[in-house]
Amino acid sequence: MIEVEGTLKSRLAIWLLATVSALGVLLLVEAYFSSQHAAERAYDSQLEAAALTIAEAVQWEAGQPVVKIPSAALQILATRHQERVFYAVLDADGQRVSGNLDLDIAPEWRRRASSQPIWMNEAYQGTQWRLYGRELDSAGWETQDPVQIWVGHTMTGREALTEVLFEQAVTRFVIMVLLAGILMLLAMRVALAPLRRLRQQLRRRDADDMRPLDTRVPEEMREMAETLDSLFTRQRQGREALLRFTADASHQLKTPLAGLQTTSELALKRDSPDAWRQALVEVHGSAERTSRLASQLLSMARLRHAVEANATSRIDALALLHETAFDWAQRDAAQAHDIGLAPLPASPQYIQGEVWALRELLGNLIDNALRYTPPGSVITLGAVCHAQTLELYIEDDGPGVSPDVMAHLHHPFERGDRQDTEGSGLGLAIVDSIVRRHEARMQVESAEKGGLRVRLLFPYLTQHEEE
Amino acid sequence: MPIRRVALVWLLGALTPSLAWADTPLVVEAALDRVVAAPLLDAFEEAHPHIQLNFRDHSTLEVDARVADEESPPDVVISSAMPWQMARVNEGYAQRLESPEARAWPEWAKWRDEVFGFTFEPIVMAYRLDLSRHMMPPNTHADLHALLTQHRETLRGKVTTYSPLSSGVGYSLFQQDARYTPRFWDLVAAMGAADTHLEANTRAMLKGLSAGRYWLGYNLLGSYAMVWAQSHPEVIVQVPQDYSLVMMRMAFIHRDAPHPAAAREFLDFLLSQEGQRVIAGETPLFSVRPDVIGPYTAQRLRDQVGQRLYPIPLNASLLAFVDPSRRAAFLSRWQREFNRLSNPEPAQGAAPTE
Repeated sequence: MIEVEGTLKSRLAIWLLATVSALGVLLLVEAYFSSQHAAERAYDSQLEAAALTIAEAVQWEAGQPVVKIPSAALQILATRHQERVFYAVLDADGQRVSGNLDLDIAPEWRRRASSQPIWMNEAYQGTQWRLYGRELDSAGWETQDPVQIWVGHTMTGREALTEVLFEQAVTRFVIMVLLAGILMLLAMRVALAPLRRLRQQLRRRDADDMRPLDTRVPEEMREMAETLDSLFTRQRQGREALLRFTADASHQLKTPLAGLQTTSELALKRDSPDAWRQALVEVHGSAERTSRLASQLLSMARLRHAVEANATSRIDALALLHETAFDWAQRDAAQAHDIGLAPLPASPQYIQGEVWALRELLGNLIDNALRYTPPGSVITLGAVCHAQTLELYIEDDGPGVSPDVMAHLHHPFERGDRQDTEGSGLGLAIVDSIVRRHEARMQVESAEKGGLRVRLLFPYLTQHEEE
Repeated sequence: MPIRRVALVWLLGALTPSLAWADTPLVVEAALDRVVAAPLLDAFEEAHPHIQLNFRDHSTLEVDARVADEESPPDVVISSAMPWQMARVNEGYAQRLESPEARAWPEWAKWRDEVFGFTFEPIVMAYRLDLSRHMMPPNTHADLHALLTQHRETLRGKVTTYSPLSSGVGYSLFQQDARYTPRFWDLVAAMGAADTHLEANTRAMLKGLSAGRYWLGYNLLGSYAMVWAQSHPEVIVQVPQDYSLVMMRMAFIHRDAPHPAAAREFLDFLLSQEGQRVIAGETPLFSVRPDVIGPYTAQRLRDQVGQRLYPIPLNASLLAFVDPSRRAAFLSRWQREFNRLSNPEPAQGAAPTE
């Protein structure tokens, strides 16, 4: 099920937008404060210049400071924004030597300005004023009393300059964002090009084209391309396996059916009831084998196609082993053999699995052992508890198989180079399928007594699964 | 009850006439001769019949004192004492005029869009025809100085100028003169030596000229002098040829104006093309706006006098002139210089003022 969840472009755009807006807010706040700062510095220096100009005009006559306020100082104070201006020259006692406006200079301010020049914002007559105060050391003939010079102006110019600087910053930022957005779109087109290429290639593909991809992808997409490739490979393998299985199955069914046809044809040409009976017995036996073959093919198909049906339960493996061994020991087919159980672990051992499949598994292994060993052979079933796995095994003291054959015993229709038995060659293949379904492992090896030993290693039921 | 009702009826009766006319009063406190300004005021009343104009003519220093009157502040303040007007605006007594006329007004003739220089009045010398019988009448400041030096005895007691102490305009003009050249003090000394009479206003100087008491006047308001000369042929007006100061009458709306709307209309009228046209055509105040044509326009004055017109700059530098210690220093120097030649002990004159 493919759910379309927006587009990559919109996702990237949203991310870009979110980060840019968050960043933008920070930047703009910073820009505002630095604009304010810059404006402040620019205009503060005017205040300083005005104070200096006034300081230059201070003179002492008869021990008293006298100041002839220079017009230039006032013009500097007013700036080109025509601020309202304030100035005051105070003597050592805080008395005004000169000044305009009745803006009071508090003693506290005077005290602070006496150590170093100070700046302050002050509300006066309902307007904000920027004030600057500094002390001027005198060197008169009669007196060394310092005077303080205070200047100030309204803040229209500062506000206007702040606004202009801030607007410039905002403009620069907006242009940058727009450019970044355009570049982002272009970059996205370029970056998504391999994806588009891959999509086109996949779309052009035929339904049964399972060849690996032939395309150039960037590093980030390598994994996806490889996954796609491996998906194709598995599909191809599955398909091939299915074709081979079908072909093999047809071939296997064809042989007994051809035998049936021949037997029945021969019998029909005879007249003697003995011959008919003989033929019927043969037909019966052949039909029985064919029926068994068919049921095994069915099991095989069922195992391969019913992967989804997951009806597993908690199973006591030892009980199952016990039960299956007894069941088989009582069958007619097993009368020529000695089926026995090795000593089992005392406590029950649980695994997760499907009962029918496990029965089928054990049954097939026992059936195989019966078929491929001479009469009188001893067949032993047992269980061993390992640390991680529970081992169920079955071994016989028959002739065994050569090591190179052992590797593909589990392939369908493989009879271990033996054509003398009635087996279909599907037994171990079925076993293999069931083992895989239970996430277990199967090991086929030579038994100590010379026969074959098949070991099945099941994972224990974990605590988590036990709940 | 009956008494109350009667009172109410009486009150209504008293209110009705004013409601019917719906007149807005407008108080204009001005240092501007009513006679000179009459055509301008008439034109305003004609254009705004619903406004009852109360135009009060005072001296500059009186006008300045009225600005700080908290009981009954005026609506509009007009004065030729530029530094004082500037100081009042700086103290926050003006309110901003937001109008197209105000915005379009030339930058050099306004400050903070609160105060506007709406006239362009040259400062002139005036002399009586008698003078030319004895000597060559002066064209420049240097001429004046030369005359005062060479004909001191002839001119003794016959020269007049502003008193810097009793006239704000006179003080501002002398400050401005002193700013341009240090030789101004020689002129002051020469005037002092000739026993120059100090007057408080231009009108007094013009009257003295007509009456024959004075032969020569220095630093008169050109606007008044030109009108006077039209009806008094014995008085000749001379715009100085070296440099001529130009004074602007400054108008602002009072911060606490009781009738701000009417005040805005009045100021807008002063700045409007119509108001300026009246100033240029029917008063000798000289219009500022460049798009006005008439006998009395700044442009025409420039064409006649050339580039030697020096308008007193309308900016914060004016504030220095009203600085108390600077004013005191200036006046004491004035006193010293004025007495320098006639009283040869300068130390005696200087000591008490400091």
